[in-house]
Amino acid sequence: MSFFGFAEKNLESEKRRFLEDAARGAREEDLAVYTWGEDSYDGLGDALQEGGDELNDETFGGTGAVGKDFDFSNTTLLDDSHTKPSKSPKVQDPLARPQVAQQSATGTPQPTQPSRTSHSLESVWDDKSPFSVLPRMNGAGRTVGHASHSAKFTTHTSTPAQSLLSQQSTSLSLGENAHKDVHTLEEIEAEMLAAAAARQLQLQAQAQAEVQAQALPHALSQAQLRAQPPRQGTPQHAATPPPRMHPHSQSPRFHQQQQQHQIHILQLQQLQQQQQQQQLLELQEQRERQHQQQLRELQQQLRLEELERQRQLRLQQMQAGAANHLQSQAVHQRHGSLSPSLSDRNLRHGRSPAAMTPRAQLEAPFQQSMQYLPQDIQMQQRLLAEMAQAEFMNSMQAGVQSEREAREEREMQEVLRQEAMRKIMEAEKSEEKRRRKLAKIAHMARYNDLMTQSDKDFITRIQVSQLVTQDPYADDFYAQVYSALLRSRMGAQPQDERVIKFGSAGGVGLGFGQRGPGRRQNALQRMEAQVERIVQNARLREKEKISLNSLQGALGKTSGRSYKAAPRQLLQVDSTSPTPSPAHAHISKADVVASRDGAGATREAAKFGREALATTGDAKARKDPLTQREALMIIERLYDIVLDIEQHKREEESIEDEEEHEAWSKRLEQLIEQLWQGLQVTVYFETSNPHPFVSLLTPIKGKRLLPRIARHFNPDQMRIVLTLILACFAQLDVVKHASILDSLHDTVERRDVENQTQAFVGSVVQTLLPLIAKTDLKMIRGYLGILLEPNTAFSAFRTGPGLALLTLLLSRVAVLKQNMASATEISEMPSPEELAEWQQQLNHLFELIGPHLLTLFPSVRIGIISGLGFANVPNADVLDQPVWQFLASLAVHAQQEQQHILVTSLREMVLECVASVQKGWVTDPEDRKLRLNNVNLFLHALGLDASQIAV
Amino acid sequence: MLIFSVFKTLTDQQVTVELKNDLSITGTLKSVDQFLNIRLDSIKVLDEARHPHMMAVKNCFIRGSVVRYVQLPAEHVDTQLLEDATRREAAAQQKR
Repeated sequence: MSFFGFAEKNLESEKRRFLEDAARGAREEDLAVYTWGEDSYDGLGDALQEGGDELNDETFGGTGAVGKDFDFSNTTLLDDSHTKPSKSPKVQDPLARPQVAQQSATGTPQPTQPSRTSHSLESVWDDKSPFSVLPRMNGAGRTVGHASHSAKFTTHTSTPAQSLLSQQSTSLSLGENAHKDVHTLEEIEAEMLAAAAARQLQLQAQAQAEVQAQALPHALSQAQLRAQPPRQGTPQHAATPPPRMHPHSQSPRFHQQQQQHQIHILQLQQLQQQQQQQQLLELQEQRERQHQQQLRELQQQLRLEELERQRQLRLQQMQAGAANHLQSQAVHQRHGSLSPSLSDRNLRHGRSPAAMTPRAQLEAPFQQSMQYLPQDIQMQQRLLAEMAQAEFMNSMQAGVQSEREAREEREMQEVLRQEAMRKIMEAEKSEEKRRRKLAKIAHMARYNDLMTQSDKDFITRIQVSQLVTQDPYADDFYAQVYSALLRSRMGAQPQDERVIKFGSAGGVGLGFGQRGPGRRQNALQRMEAQVERIVQNARLREKEKISLNSLQGALGKTSGRSYKAAPRQLLQVDSTSPTPSPAHAHISKADVVASRDGAGATREAAKFGREALATTGDAKARKDPLTQREALMIIERLYDIVLDIEQHKREEESIEDEEEHEAWSKRLEQLIEQLWQGLQVTVYFETSNPHPFVSLLTPIKGKRLLPRIARHFNPDQMRIVLTLILACFAQLDVVKHASILDSLHDTVERRDVENQTQAFVGSVVQTLLPLIAKTDLKMIRGYLGILLEPNTAFSAFRTGPGLALLTLLLSRVAVLKQNMASATEISEMPSPEELAEWQQQLNHLFELIGPHLLTLFPSVRIGIISGLGFANVPNADVLDQPVWQFLASLAVHAQQEQQHILVTSLREMVLECVASVQKGWVTDPEDRKLRLNNVNLFLHALGLDASQIAV
Repeated sequence: MLIFSVFKTLTDQQVTVELKNDLSITGTLKSVDQFLNIRLDSIKVLDEARHPHMMAVKNCFIRGSVVRYVQLPAEHVDTQLLEDATRREAAAQQKR
């Protein structure tokens, strides 16, 4: 204090006197008044020793270490902050700092110095400096540069006061180094400032380290918060950055800041914990005080029994109060501000709202809550533990008086405690849930607006551009037809547009949308806009291309592959195969080779010879049967035609013009004719064995094709088809290979034949069913006659398809007979002659079938082969069902003696079946039922029932 | 376009997607795009013991290029229609 020399002086009075003097001086002399005359100036400048520069060297680092004289920052904080906080310069304000220093410096006895604002060395130090003797020319330039540089550096580092904590040592050592060089006034001031700030911060850290239940931490945290540069708030509160903003991509400066923030956060957390602990301590103290009081009361009232009840009452009230307290706390939490300390913190944060970006504000509360969650739970648990302890103590005391009352009390308390506990848990749970949800939202919110609307549009455009096609229906064929089928299956709904058309430009198939109408409508509109834009762009590009094309080749030809050429295809299959339709080039050629080995060539030659000999137009020339490959090719072509027809029929709706319609139906006829020819039904029967049409029916897809074709043919055409099938029945693959089915071994062939048979019955026979159902007796007789040709009859009886067809024919006759009896359909009424002929044919049938009645049953055939009893053949009932059906339809038409034949030959079979059912040999009730039904089918036709048979 | 068209009809059906890294994911098909990228919901991995990291995953987006097979529910595929669609596709390609 030697500088001021006012050990006993009162600063306030000093200042007042100065102000008065200044006012008087201003009046008396006309000199310019310096800035220190303002309110904030404390007037200490007057008390300085004037004149005498002898202390300059000591002050400004000419000799030894810098004294503490200029270090008023330290003193002001410790002393002046209490006495006159408004007047003293703020330590935390780095900008105010140099000003103060300058003020005091101006007070130093150097009034003769020229303008201080120019920082040149000469002006500052004049002749008194030891460096003034050094040569000026280069030395001064160097020192000036260095000094200004270091000054810049120190001021730069000291601006954020907080950063001094970490850079304290460096700045100090820098100061030491600077002693050897020349210093500007600013430099020195900055150094001292830095040192002072560092010391202060150290002090704060020490204070934090000690656990003190005083207001100091609070004040400190406030001071820290104020000292914290505002812009640092943003990264501190940002959650883990989204991928694009990953910290690794940040500058080292950013990392440094981050570390500092982490330190800062840790300090804050420590502070919070301290506060909470302090609160807890206080609470405990309070409790203890209460306990002591209670104890004292108890001692007083021990003698007075009637006062006991009062005490109980109070106890309960206290319990309720505690519960209420906890509840209210929980409620408090639910409203976002968790604990007093936290809300306090929030408030403090609220002081610098401008410092936080909106996002940080959004995230900050949540982050805080996450931080303090475990601590709050801890606190609550501790409170609960205390409560329990208190209760225990109370109950102990009560135990002295009356055990029963104590027990009641304890129960009461227990109930209350549990209630409180439950409520707390619930509140916590819901709070947790809410927080987690918030966290997720906040987490996701980081990605908000990552893509702009134009980005999204761009992507939609790319996607849509790939979906738009010239013919949306054809390109989305599967989805379109499937959804149409599905809709028709679910019940006819109003047909809404499944394809968006965009003028002539094309469209997009939608498949079936099941979503809400509003959203879909919106999306559609947007899509339409996008498509329009695409189309426009495409047109523009087309124009450009044309204009470019005119220039193409103007500079000579380019050789080799151009960029426009299609990329080389991975699979290079020669498309010049000799097949008529390259679309079906995938069908294997192996069949062709296999069938034409060796003798094939000679046969071919012979055939050509025969053809050459035959007169032209004679179609009776025999041909080789179709190979599988040829058949497949033809089938595929037929499928193409069928698809064309179906598409063509669909187009009918869009036709309005009469003329157009004519053309349309002409085209349809043409297509159907093509189909008819392709089917090769009209080819002479003897052309080949098997007949080409039968060859076409051999593959499973050929069988499945028939029902689709049948739709487009007229009944006459179908009758020809039926006749052909019956005539070539023995040639059918399902008939030829039927014997494979009579085996128990599950082989690939057997399964294949099974599938084929199923397909035949399901497709071909089903197609023929409506046809047969409309045939008159004469035609039926004809069909039956074809089927009962000596060479086909036997195979017909022994195969499922054959039996199915026979059953169909027989039942049609049964219907005709019924109609005759009721005289409903006169047009179909057969004449008596026809009936007689029919009877004759039936007799023929019986003759043929009589010896084989038992072997009609697949189970019997299998039983003979495998040596099992037919009843033991697995799945026998399912296999036998068509046979029973056939027998039933036969029995209806049978005359007395024919029925007799039937019964005698099937007697054993029927008896065994009934016996096996009645005696329980068949364990499965389903099987039993099926078997009984089968037998009854036949027995009912004879006018009998299985129940009449006693075994 | 054909396969895309087929998958479109299978939305909200249960499918199993076999990936090229031998992971088999069963889930409800939510959407497919023209690259046959697949979005699945409520997924379950075939061999959970081998892929414990997949246990917590509830839905996923699969890039079309990493799919090896997709097992379709047979009852929701019209085989004959699919054959027809294939024929049409082949015919259309022939025309081009």
